[in-house]
Amino acid sequence: MSSTPIPTVSRPTAVAGATATKMEVRNLDFYYNQNQALKSINLKFAKHTVTAMIGPSGCGKSTLLRTLNRIHDLYPGLRTTGEVLLDGANILGPEIDLNRLRARVGMVFQKPTPFPMSIYDNIAFAVRLYRNLPKAEMDVLVERSLRKVALWDEVKDKLHGSGMGLSGGQQQRLCIARSVVLGPEVLLLDEPASALDPISTMKIEELTHELRSDYTIVLVTHNMQQAARASDFTAFMYLGELVEFGATGDMFTSPTQQKTQDYLTGRFG
Amino acid sequence: MSDVTERLPSFEIDMLRYRRRRVTSMVTIGLTTAATGLGVIVLGWILLTLFSHGLSGMSLGVFTKMTRPEGGDGGLANAIAGTLMLVGLATVVGIPIGLMAGTWLAEYARHSNLAKVVRFINDILLSAPSILIGVFAYQVVVVPMHHFSGLAGAVALVFIALPVVVRTSEDMLMLVPDSLREAAVALGCPYWRVVVQICWRAASSGLLTGALLAVARISGETAPLIFTAFGNQFWTTDLLGPMSNLPKVIYDYANLPDHSLQALAWAGALLLTLTVLALTLLARMVVGRNR
Repeated sequence: MSSTPIPTVSRPTAVAGATATKMEVRNLDFYYNQNQALKSINLKFAKHTVTAMIGPSGCGKSTLLRTLNRIHDLYPGLRTTGEVLLDGANILGPEIDLNRLRARVGMVFQKPTPFPMSIYDNIAFAVRLYRNLPKAEMDVLVERSLRKVALWDEVKDKLHGSGMGLSGGQQQRLCIARSVVLGPEVLLLDEPASALDPISTMKIEELTHELRSDYTIVLVTHNMQQAARASDFTAFMYLGELVEFGATGDMFTSPTQQKTQDYLTGRFG
Repeated sequence: MSDVTERLPSFEIDMLRYRRRRVTSMVTIGLTTAATGLGVIVLGWILLTLFSHGLSGMSLGVFTKMTRPEGGDGGLANAIAGTLMLVGLATVVGIPIGLMAGTWLAEYARHSNLAKVVRFINDILLSAPSILIGVFAYQVVVVPMHHFSGLAGAVALVFIALPVVVRTSEDMLMLVPDSLREAAVALGCPYWRVVVQICWRAASSGLLTGALLAVARISGETAPLIFTAFGNQFWTTDLLGPMSNLPKVIYDYANLPDHSLQALAWAGALLLTLTVLALTLLARMVVGRNR
């Protein structure tokens, strides 16, 4: 882990989509009962990049994120039309095995949600959903995932203590470790640092930056500066529509849409 | 600073209104304290009476000797055993069913119309007079069997414990935040495992408390057992025959003129109270441990 406070992200100035596409959204509409929350979204997420989704409250960025792992299916009355492609295959069909989808597309939520069990069991729980491992192998897996989120040194002596006894930032990193241990291909981060103090936020941002070499990351954030710091591509949404999408460096310095310009300069939102 | 005070319109405090407010406040505080005090005093009085009479009737013989209708050298052994068996059986049957129903209401069918109907019926059952439940068990179990039985008594107790467990289970599970469920589902966890390994675990202290309170409730129920388990002056472990139980024995002995029997009744009452007290304290400790 570097000791410099702000990680420098090398921003590709190439056109968005120059690297291979991991996930794609085509003509996506989303309805909360009668209310249309997403309007004809077309978006590509490139492999091994961090794509940030920004926009004012209620613009649909979290809704869009949650269609990517179909967690909306938990709630009745919600409708999705269009396509969401993972490696070219549509994941919105009824024949899709949702559990296996979610093992490939992991999600971390705004509020840290450690399960009511020990730190070790929090991570082992995720593994045990899919495999029965002997203790030695499980120990190795738990240690690796905790090291990956830079939590190992802080918790290695209290692995069997309750997960709920950690600080907010540690709990959130535990949740990330839990998602990461399954070896997903895509990580969806829904405002992961908004409930955390600045130092924890910084650690999460550094982590996001490091993780992108192994995963494709989609990050929803309220914080424009965080998007500028931590992402390669940015999508700006407003009232359920995708207004602009491009390389972060280009978007923040010279946005093509007036609305984007207004939002970035703080005229609204 | 002086600008601010100068601009405010001056007004004088209406001393009469103010004094009236203070008096109302003092009277209300006094009344609420008195009401609390009354409740506490009465409770203390009951406990004191129970302990003083009960302890004098208590001896080792209470636990080892059988009930004897004619008084003299008797105990409560068969009554205690009977209550343990009846409450035990009702617990083993009623609590799992109640937990499952509460889980269904909270996790699988939360907003459905059927769930609304089930909740409504459950609430009615919850406040049904226990003697009605006893009469129901009489009709359903005793009449076809042509005799009283411990089984009928246990059935009656199940129907008293069941709505309590359903209600508390559902309430406790509703308290588990949706964010926890979503976090488990996002890992690809099948929903039944989310319920069993996450929701039940998160609500465990509340669920256990609900179960303990249901047990405490049925240990003291008398009316449903009058027409079902009926009572038995001998030692029996046969559930298919009439069974002695502590609340019934207390009821019988309290009505008899024999002093030794009345002392036994007090001892029985004390035992029941101590059991309920122990269960309630246990429930509190369980909640405290998980804080």
